[in-house]
Amino acid sequence: MNAVVEPLMATESKPKMSIRDVHVRYGDVHAVKGINLDLYSDKVTALIGPSGCGKSTLLRCLNRMNDTISDCEVRGQIYLDGKDVYASDIDVVQLRARVGMVFQKPNPFPKSIYDNVAYGPRIHGLATDRDALDEIVEASLEKAGLWHEVKDRLDHLGTALSGGQQQRLCIARAIAVNPEVILMDEPCSSLDPIATAKVEALIDELSGRYAIVIVTHSMQQAARVSQKTVFFHLGEMIEYGDTTQIFTAPQQEQTRDYITGRIG
Amino acid sequence: MNDNDEHMPPAMQQVDWASPQMKARLNRRYWMDRLFRGLGLSAVAAATLFLIVLLGNIIQTGVSGFFQTSIEIDVSFDASILPDPALPRSEFSQAVAQVNMQRILRQALLEKFPDVKARGDVVRLTRLLSSGARSQLRSLVVRSPNIVGTTIPVQLLASDEVDQAVKGNIDVSLPEENRKLKNKEVGWLSLLQSENRVSLNFHPRFITSGDSREPELVGVWGAVVGSALTLLVTLLTAFPIGLAAAIYLEEFAPRNRLTTIIEININNLAAVPSIVFGLLGLAFFLGAVGMARSAPLVGGLTLALLSLPTIIISARAAITAVPQSIRDAARGLGASPMQVAFHHVVPQAMPGILTGTIIGMSRALGESAPLLMIGMVAFIVDVPTGIDDPATVLPVQIFLWADSPERAFIEKTSAAIMVLLFFLISMNGIAIWLRQKFERNW
Repeated sequence: MNAVVEPLMATESKPKMSIRDVHVRYGDVHAVKGINLDLYSDKVTALIGPSGCGKSTLLRCLNRMNDTISDCEVRGQIYLDGKDVYASDIDVVQLRARVGMVFQKPNPFPKSIYDNVAYGPRIHGLATDRDALDEIVEASLEKAGLWHEVKDRLDHLGTALSGGQQQRLCIARAIAVNPEVILMDEPCSSLDPIATAKVEALIDELSGRYAIVIVTHSMQQAARVSQKTVFFHLGEMIEYGDTTQIFTAPQQEQTRDYITGRIG
Repeated sequence: MNDNDEHMPPAMQQVDWASPQMKARLNRRYWMDRLFRGLGLSAVAAATLFLIVLLGNIIQTGVSGFFQTSIEIDVSFDASILPDPALPRSEFSQAVAQVNMQRILRQALLEKFPDVKARGDVVRLTRLLSSGARSQLRSLVVRSPNIVGTTIPVQLLASDEVDQAVKGNIDVSLPEENRKLKNKEVGWLSLLQSENRVSLNFHPRFITSGDSREPELVGVWGAVVGSALTLLVTLLTAFPIGLAAAIYLEEFAPRNRLTTIIEININNLAAVPSIVFGLLGLAFFLGAVGMARSAPLVGGLTLALLSLPTIIISARAAITAVPQSIRDAARGLGASPMQVAFHHVVPQAMPGILTGTIIGMSRALGESAPLLMIGMVAFIVDVPTGIDDPATVLPVQIFLWADSPERAFIEKTSAAIMVLLFFLISMNGIAIWLRQKFERNW
């Protein structure tokens, strides 16, 4: 049974994911305090805020990556297409296939480029034969803008690529299982400006097809790639709105201070 | 100098890098540096020296254990004693087995030394040769029946005392009553030597045969096969159990009081003296389960108990060393915990796991105390053919020979140690090879 989740803003289209009154605690630390947020399939949502404000924690709740942390306690509801992802009948393996993730540090498997991209389709049985798998790998690398750089050396180690290529390989790996949502946890923080530009261009390319949520420390990046921006401070959501509005006319003083560099 | 200097404490403003105090500091640092390097170098040198002395000593005494003295004697294969070579082959060999070869030997020796008459002297004379000489003659006749009725020179194994004298391990200048080889025997031996009838040859029997009461007839093959079978049982039980335990504890087990207690106990088990595991094997496998004693099966299971903690600890360390980011990547793609463990964590940890396993196996190969408890110390002549045959292992064989009174067992002991070291080095070589193979694969 899907719950009927009222969107937060009446003007918007139907949200892909809805976060309702979510609290996260690590033991005694109250990391995320009562967040309400909607994420849309055709938009990039940027989560910004100073270190330790709970934005990465919230991101990791969306595909339940926090499950293995034993003292992490999540309260509230997170809906994916109206279904609570923390409900007891949700299979976390399927959830993570639908909600993919790209991490802060590029983490390709120590396997070939081909096997990196093919791993997800293989474990979920998405390809019936070798040709279908080849197609998935090519299409994913193509979408990630990496195909022309690596097509002649698919059997080389993914870990032998440059940092930026590795991160795009990780994005290709994530989109190979055809997710509906892609979570990106500071995907450019360990990349140089040129690689960052390529990844940002890729995010731009992918927006519209996937709901993308990106955590970033870079104001400029949030302004460049996102349509919606959320500002967090000390576990609380201070402001949520269109990116242009947040960066040009923030409603809250704290937001203004942060984006102009006075706190953070 | 910039404006900030006036805010600095005075000590920081007036640093004179060229002052005598600074020079002294620097010199002291250099001196400590040199001292530490010197200590390190001498430690390495000392360790190398000990190793060279140890290995040199073993090799020096052990090499001659691979060689054995033979005496060439003209043997007349008397047709009146031996069966008719025209008999069918199987009947002929059966008949040869009935023949008193000692008589032929004695005749051959008495022909060589016709002036030996006294009964005691004749016995002494035949003792120049090994008791294995009889079976040497027997197999020679069976192999070539046409020598019956002829007289040909035959290379026969010398007894251990003669062998030791030839190798120079017995001082014949000692008073006669202080040595087993008496003056008469020394005389006969030097006569044979002057006729070039005494030779020292490589002795393949030491590699290919089982144990014996006679030092010149012993071989390590029984112990080698026993060790191999025992280690096989150990590997097949300890590796899967240890690996499964390590994977479960690292990747699946909840962190609670129970798992902590289990972890502490595994760590403590690694420090338990090995003989305690022998007692456990005796009480459980022999006492409660009732398995056959002295068998590689029981020995292998006992050694598996011994090497399990080592394997678990090293496998856990290798699994912990796999970066968390790889687990995150796999989980983020929707891999189940099982898939994360077996597709990513275990393959990456494999070199470390294998190294730990080989270390555990090496320890098991060198272990003798627990095997004494379960009866693998018995005197076993036959080479074992299965894991439930009575057997002994190399370290126990070394222990048994080291305990034997005959002078000739000294070199046999060292030679067996060389064989054991050879297998240990081979195992470590395999470990290094496996490591590199697995590391290259990803």
